[in-house]
Amino acid sequence: MFELLQDYTVQVVVFGSAVTGGTSGALGCFAYLRRQSLIGDVISHSSLLGIVGFFWLGFLIAGDGIKSLWLLIPGAIVAGLAAMLLTQWITSSTKIKPDAGLGVMLAIFFGSGLTMLRIIQRLSTPIPGHAGLEDYLFGMAAAMTRSDLWMIGLLTVVSFLCVLGSWTRLKILTFDAEYAAGLGLSTRLWEFLMLGLLVIGIVIGLQIVGVVLMVAMLIAPASAARQWTNSLGSMMALAAVIGSACAGAGALISSAKSGMPTGPVIVILLTLVVVISVLLSPGRGVLMRRRSLVH
Amino acid sequence: MFIDIWTLAIALVTAISCSLCGGLLIVNRNAMVSEGLSHAVLPGLAIAFWFLRDYSSPWLLISAAACGLLMVWLTEAFVRSGVVESDASLGIVFAGMFSLGVLFASNYLKNTHFHSDCIIEGNLSLAVFDRFELGTLYLGPKPFYVMLGILLLQLAFITICYKELKAMLFDSELASRFGLRPKLFQLLWLSIVSVTTVAAFNVAGSILIVALMIAPPTAAYLITVRLSSLLVLSVVLGCISAVAGFYSALAMDVSTTGPIASAAGLVFLAVLFFAPGRGLLAARFLNARQNRDTLDCLVLQWIQDSKLSSSESAVNQPGQGKDSELSALRWRSTVERLLASNLITRHDQGFSLTGAGEAKLAAKLADFS
Repeated sequence: MFELLQDYTVQVVVFGSAVTGGTSGALGCFAYLRRQSLIGDVISHSSLLGIVGFFWLGFLIAGDGIKSLWLLIPGAIVAGLAAMLLTQWITSSTKIKPDAGLGVMLAIFFGSGLTMLRIIQRLSTPIPGHAGLEDYLFGMAAAMTRSDLWMIGLLTVVSFLCVLGSWTRLKILTFDAEYAAGLGLSTRLWEFLMLGLLVIGIVIGLQIVGVVLMVAMLIAPASAARQWTNSLGSMMALAAVIGSACAGAGALISSAKSGMPTGPVIVILLTLVVVISVLLSPGRGVLMRRRSLVH
Repeated sequence: MFIDIWTLAIALVTAISCSLCGGLLIVNRNAMVSEGLSHAVLPGLAIAFWFLRDYSSPWLLISAAACGLLMVWLTEAFVRSGVVESDASLGIVFAGMFSLGVLFASNYLKNTHFHSDCIIEGNLSLAVFDRFELGTLYLGPKPFYVMLGILLLQLAFITICYKELKAMLFDSELASRFGLRPKLFQLLWLSIVSVTTVAAFNVAGSILIVALMIAPPTAAYLITVRLSSLLVLSVVLGCISAVAGFYSALAMDVSTTGPIASAAGLVFLAVLFFAPGRGLLAARFLNARQNRDTLDCLVLQWIQDSKLSSSESAVNQPGQGKDSELSALRWRSTVERLLASNLITRHDQGFSLTGAGEAKLAAKLADFS
């Protein structure tokens, strides 16, 4: 496995996965603390429609199947945002509860994304490169190229700057949205920024983990990190470390062995970290609390 | 053609039983549990299949349904430990279990039903070839009868335990005071949902299960407030989605799962906009009519109160004080509408109310007082 690390392609893949894992792990802290995990699940499923749709648009315009993240990630962002805004509109203008609204959006966006994917795969004159789209279901880190790395880097830097630049406001909004509104913060604007960060944290990982399991990549590092610390700053840092370690290791395992789709491998590593954290963390951990009860 | 009919029949039974389950999940605000269940049953299915190598063994159903219950239990255990948020624990548990299933299937169950396409989409068109024969008599595909059996089980459970279910859904605390044991019925009900999910998994895949469990009941929820009519309506809407999706899939020559899921979503959108009485368009129409009616009465009142000197000034100057929010344009259109419906008449000194106009105003005033 260590010889594998000498390989240039593998280096790109492992490095890219680690960066991705770090970014979505850190951004996932907001989603975790704001109890938006299922929103993340729906955004990631919905983005399939954007990915397939933009791939198809790219073919119509350029005449070739383009699988660069520079094309597909904007598509994923558009679809993810559309699904979320539609859900918000439906739940605010009818009596439908958020969970049901989310489920319906999942049906519409993921259903039509899947239909479109199957149509593209069965075209009589196939679009070159359409086979790789299938990998967006369960993730294929090995498909990463150098230009994809730049896209991942750009998203990482943008979200890092956003978080850094509006740290206090994001923090207030996360822990007490009503207080934030009372302070005169334009909640709509900041909620939208928050949604934007959530969407970035999701779409950045779709290539590696896939739309079906992306929610775990977003939420699991945050839930593990939460067990070890009480401050938002160190929670995000720890989640970034956990996310990037698991994603990097998962990508390496998946490149080393066939029959190991990247997404599930990363998710299992992350789940292990969560279970260990929940059981063992000092203070909050289940086992530790039990011991202190016995004594 | 014969095969198509059986495929459609399987799709319909699946749609009906999923919509029934979903109806109760929606009311319980547990819609996303179906997302979790539809993924978490996979390891149970895959491992049981690895042991038995038989698609139609009932053990597959049992072990996978147990896996679904395990997911519910694990999620609750996470929540009860008080250290992980409830929605996050659902997300982590189902993703973890699903990953286990996918990895197991892609390593030990190559070239079977359990490759990654089928996990998401199921395989409705293959299900038809799983023949159910009695002696030499061909009765139809097996999955149809499995789904039918589960549907009957659901119907029996719902009709026998309707009262308990209702109490559990709407006020579980009250139900336990009455000694109705809501926890027990919740467990029973979740087991049935779990079994339904597993049975539907082979033919529909995880995405279609979620779509059929959530979209039709949510649409029905827009139309009605009664649990019984909610269940009936969601079954009807589920059937419509299944038929529409099935035929559009045939037309596009793709597998049925994606089209039926999107059809379920589109049926929901159609209900959202066009439902008579409660749909968004109907609500907007009703709102506009009420606005118009109020405006009419305001103007009638105003004409009755003030003796206007000239018709021109009346049309152009909508008055002062509290009436000034009526823009000149709306004033003019309202006056014209009133003239056209013979509620007021125009004469040299201005307007005056006709008999009908006075009657309408009097009726409105009587309404208010």
